[in-house]
Amino acid sequence: MTILTTPGERANPARTVPDTPGRGTPGGLAGAIASEWTKLFSVRASYLCLLAGLAITGVFTYYYASIARINEHPVQPVGNAAASSAVLVQFAVVVLATVAVTSEYSTGSVRVSLLSVPRRHVIQAAKALVAAVVAFVAGTTFAVVGTAVAWVAFDGRASFEAGPSLLQVLAIGLYQALVAVLTVGVAFATRHPAGALSVLVTLLWALPSVLLGLGGPALADVNDHLPHGSGDHLMRLGAEAPYTPATAVLIVAAWAATAHLIGLCVLRRRDA
Amino acid sequence: MITLEGLTKRYGGTLAVDELTFDVQAGRVTGFLGPNGAGKSTTMRMILGLDHPTRGRALIAGRPYADLRRPLCAVGAMLDARAVHPARSGRTHLVAQARANGIPVRRVDEVLERVGLAKAARRPAGTYSLGMSGRLGVAGALLGDPPVLVLDEPVNGLDPDGVRWIRRLVRDQAAEGRTVFLSSHLMSEMQLTADHLVVIGRGRLLSDTSMTDFLAAASPASARAVVPDPEERAALVRRLVTAEGVSVETSPSGELTVEGRTAAEIGDLAHHCRVRLHRLSDVRVSLEQAYMDLTARSVEYTTGGSGADTTAAAAVPNEGARP
Repeated sequence: MTILTTPGERANPARTVPDTPGRGTPGGLAGAIASEWTKLFSVRASYLCLLAGLAITGVFTYYYASIARINEHPVQPVGNAAASSAVLVQFAVVVLATVAVTSEYSTGSVRVSLLSVPRRHVIQAAKALVAAVVAFVAGTTFAVVGTAVAWVAFDGRASFEAGPSLLQVLAIGLYQALVAVLTVGVAFATRHPAGALSVLVTLLWALPSVLLGLGGPALADVNDHLPHGSGDHLMRLGAEAPYTPATAVLIVAAWAATAHLIGLCVLRRRDA
Repeated sequence: MITLEGLTKRYGGTLAVDELTFDVQAGRVTGFLGPNGAGKSTTMRMILGLDHPTRGRALIAGRPYADLRRPLCAVGAMLDARAVHPARSGRTHLVAQARANGIPVRRVDEVLERVGLAKAARRPAGTYSLGMSGRLGVAGALLGDPPVLVLDEPVNGLDPDGVRWIRRLVRDQAAEGRTVFLSSHLMSEMQLTADHLVVIGRGRLLSDTSMTDFLAAASPASARAVVPDPEERAALVRRLVTAEGVSVETSPSGELTVEGRTAAEIGDLAHHCRVRLHRLSDVRVSLEQAYMDLTARSVEYTTGGSGADTTAAAAVPNEGARP
């Protein structure tokens, strides 16, 4: 019987691949973004994360403003309540973006996704972009709601100026968007929700708490270069910052970009 | 067409896929056989750009999978039917794939209709039975109306109706000139479905041949004959066993099993010797038997480990092994 092929008989591909059907929306990055958008908003977890973020914002800003009023803190810009709430609210974004990636690995549907978008940088960019847009819209919405709640609870112990408040709302949205990009990168690198959340909770909450808790200018300086430390300088008004808001954006963006590249590296190298 | 050129995958010290070189031609159904752990799924994942080959490459119509701009319109694949987010509806699962490849959403409803899932389309995929998941997987493979289909164990979990449906579907797809490459460990099903066979064992190519040649080569011609008269029977046996390579077994009931002769040859001989026959038939070798013969032989002249023998045997359920 014939064992093994005859390698000489290699016919040329007669059939050309019709990969341009010429109808519908374009594939490529636009198609990948549409696909990720569809996936994100077809599971309940995403809505729950956004609702949780809204609830945390309401409770946090209410308490923040109430404590400031009761303890008779000096008058501060009203948006600082929303800016401070980001330390907790960011985890709504973190969970949303983590689950968007890791649920694909836990269900195995990542293979289906990679079959429709085989170029790794495209699918990761699409996921990061969708998460960033959702986080920006959610972040600014949370900020507006938080500012309104705080205004009531401050009961006169806060100042309001339209221009700075608007900038503050946008800054909060921008910070949340960058956190989303950071999260997608970490999630692609770890592939498991436990791993991704451990890394992100450490980086965005535990490490800053330890550094500030131990005190001292050196540790505070380190914290100023962590994502939430620099993000806080970006979002909060009136406190003295070691650098300009533009620098703060660059620091957070550098963290997001680094995580994105590490995630891409893993996604490219490892088998799906 | 799918082309494999020296495709190799190494996991640490183990060679999962070893220098596979073969073509999967358009216009026919190519079955992909091998014991569990032979490297079938790994090979398919490498063809589809999910796993990276250690060496060599796999091309679809001359291009690596990752270079396809709208891959679903070039290749339809089903690997693991269960790999769906349980909270997402079957329809949304397909819509997400369609959007990524610029396929209009109405095509999603078309394929759902075609696989018989239209009614369950908006239910969460987690509530689907294994058979329904299989149909959803096939719907995903057909989404881009691709000229190449790669299906890993497509009949898994399907009821007899579903199995027949898959068989007809892939035969129709091949008849339309498409390339169909499917793996299955159900030998009887493969025998009915495939025109061509690629058999691998321990990651290496054992056979790449047409179904007919595979069956013919696996065992020599053999036939059964019933000769009622004992004297005539003995005479016929004497004439038969004089030839080289022919062996005859006589059952207590008087039935002869002749290896090395076809029914036609025995019939002619009986006519010539004026021997009365009550029954005469060729023994059709089953794919399962042919496959077992091949893997058993390949185990001998490959690495020869005794462990391989059990692997080969374990891949095939034993009931009904004899033709």
